[in-house]
Amino acid sequence: MPTQKKSLKISMHPLIPFFIIFAVLPYIPFLGEYLSLWIEVMIWVIFAISFNILLGYTGLPSFGQGAFFGIGAYGAAITFLRLVKGVWIPIIVGIIVATAAAAFVGLFVCRKRGIYFALITIAFSQMFFFIAFRWDEVTGGETGLSGIDRLSIGIPRLFSIDLAPLLNYYYFVFVFLVICTLLIWRIVHSPFGRVLRAIKENEVRAKYAGYNTSLYKWVAFMISGIFAGAAGALYTLLINSAFSFVLHWTQSGDVVMMTILGGGLVNFFGPAVGAVIFITLRDMLSAYLRQWLLVYGLIFTLVVLFMRGGILGIFSKRRR
Amino acid sequence: MEIGVVLPFLFNGVVLGLIFAVVAVGFTLILGVMEVINFAHGGLFALGCYFAFTVQQMTNFWGGLIVAPLVVGAIGVLIERSAVRKIYGEDPLFGLLMTFGIYFVIEESIRIVWGPAGYSVTAPPFVSGAINLGFMYYSKYRLFLALISVGVIIGVWIFLEKTPYGGVIKAGAVDSEMVMALGHNLPKLRMFVFGFGAALAGIAGVIAAPIWGIRPTVGVEVLMPSFVIVVLGGIGSFWGSVIGGLLVGISTSLMVLFFPRASDIIPYLLMTIILMLRPRGLMGEKSILEE
Repeated sequence: MPTQKKSLKISMHPLIPFFIIFAVLPYIPFLGEYLSLWIEVMIWVIFAISFNILLGYTGLPSFGQGAFFGIGAYGAAITFLRLVKGVWIPIIVGIIVATAAAAFVGLFVCRKRGIYFALITIAFSQMFFFIAFRWDEVTGGETGLSGIDRLSIGIPRLFSIDLAPLLNYYYFVFVFLVICTLLIWRIVHSPFGRVLRAIKENEVRAKYAGYNTSLYKWVAFMISGIFAGAAGALYTLLINSAFSFVLHWTQSGDVVMMTILGGGLVNFFGPAVGAVIFITLRDMLSAYLRQWLLVYGLIFTLVVLFMRGGILGIFSKRRR
Repeated sequence: MEIGVVLPFLFNGVVLGLIFAVVAVGFTLILGVMEVINFAHGGLFALGCYFAFTVQQMTNFWGGLIVAPLVVGAIGVLIERSAVRKIYGEDPLFGLLMTFGIYFVIEESIRIVWGPAGYSVTAPPFVSGAINLGFMYYSKYRLFLALISVGVIIGVWIFLEKTPYGGVIKAGAVDSEMVMALGHNLPKLRMFVFGFGAALAGIAGVIAAPIWGIRPTVGVEVLMPSFVIVVLGGIGSFWGSVIGGLLVGISTSLMVLFFPRASDIIPYLLMTIILMLRPRGLMGEKSILEE
């Protein structure tokens, strides 16, 4: 009966199956054993979906987004080691620092786009990398920072959850994934998100329609930085450390790759699909293949050559 | 601080800046004509180092200086024909991602062919040692390197400004459709520019190898400054790249003397300040690349 089918479609919000998959993942036989991999995947899903606010929705090719991930990671680590041993405050500080950095870089790029946008974001991300690499006293320089333990969360005398076991931390990150994804979904489907899409389609026209496009781009850049910072802070807690690689330029390339690979240019969930595939592939191949970088490079080249719409792009084309 | 202490660092900075300038000019050329941010440029630089290293063992310094850039240029043409030309006119992001991938293919290929370890390269015998400049002793090879770099930069400038080919290339950067409508073979032009830019990276690699040594990741060490140089110099500007290269080279080198830990960061600080004062960089003008 077609009518029934239709009503089913309406009641099923596309985010629900997405959340269900991650909710049950630890209990799926075989796959569930790789908890730390899935936590990393969820962190990258948050990062990639938030990055897509810029790339897919606003059409801004940021190639330095890894910086805000890394700054979130360092912000959380430094706060934990120097200020407060806790869970929430390091994460919040990590997010604030990353947002501030994004606001700063955003000032320089909000009037740019295309090649200019890409080049300036790369250059600034390198600046943050070198600061982390050289400022030994604070960032630990080349060796980085370690000893960031996952403590317990909860309300004193009522309940507490120890985040040290991976399964507990998995669901902690899962809650972040749900909240972040819902927020980003709201943002891109709001009137604000519609202006961003208008900027992507034709910035000049959006400007003439009366929108302060630079301001919108700046805010979008900052929003993207908020979530990148959250992802970075969660990553620090996952690996119990922060080192300069989290700020490395390849991180920025990876998040762009995931977004394109999954089909972020055509679908909200593209970056998530891309993150799942990319991280698992990287994990498997880099462990068994000595020339992993060769494959890594080829993947980038081939995806751009043959599947710019990404994986979800293939399906959406077939359906039409 | 005595001027005698500062001078060698200043000279080193100029030499470093000239190498950067040669790399950045090739990078800018490709960026301007094809609107492609060529991440693989660092890889081509590294290939220049390695090819010269191998050829020089068979022949001599000049053999490497001539053969290596030609081979690197040919590889550039190959890259352009097989991959990069498919993304002209697309979102710049695709060119960036693709050349990012090509960079890693090059880096890993270098590891496979030459091994993961680095090599040191000796300066050719006719310019080894130091020369007495009257006020100080300075490495002959670095002066020689500066001379070659200046020669290359001027040569490229003459080619771009004083020959009809240069005119077509510059026109291709502004309005590629018009260039095609006027009967020029645009695909061939682009292929040539890519190969030419690659060869410039190759030359820089050959001459820089004796002072930097070579290792598989040497490409990134020169690629990252290139981004800063073109941004602070003004995207698409020839002299912007040259001045940007010198600024980055000199500031880095002087910082090594005064506050070594900040030597990596100073180019970025410079860039930040310059972008605050001139959002398009020192020599940047409003261009079609912005829209």
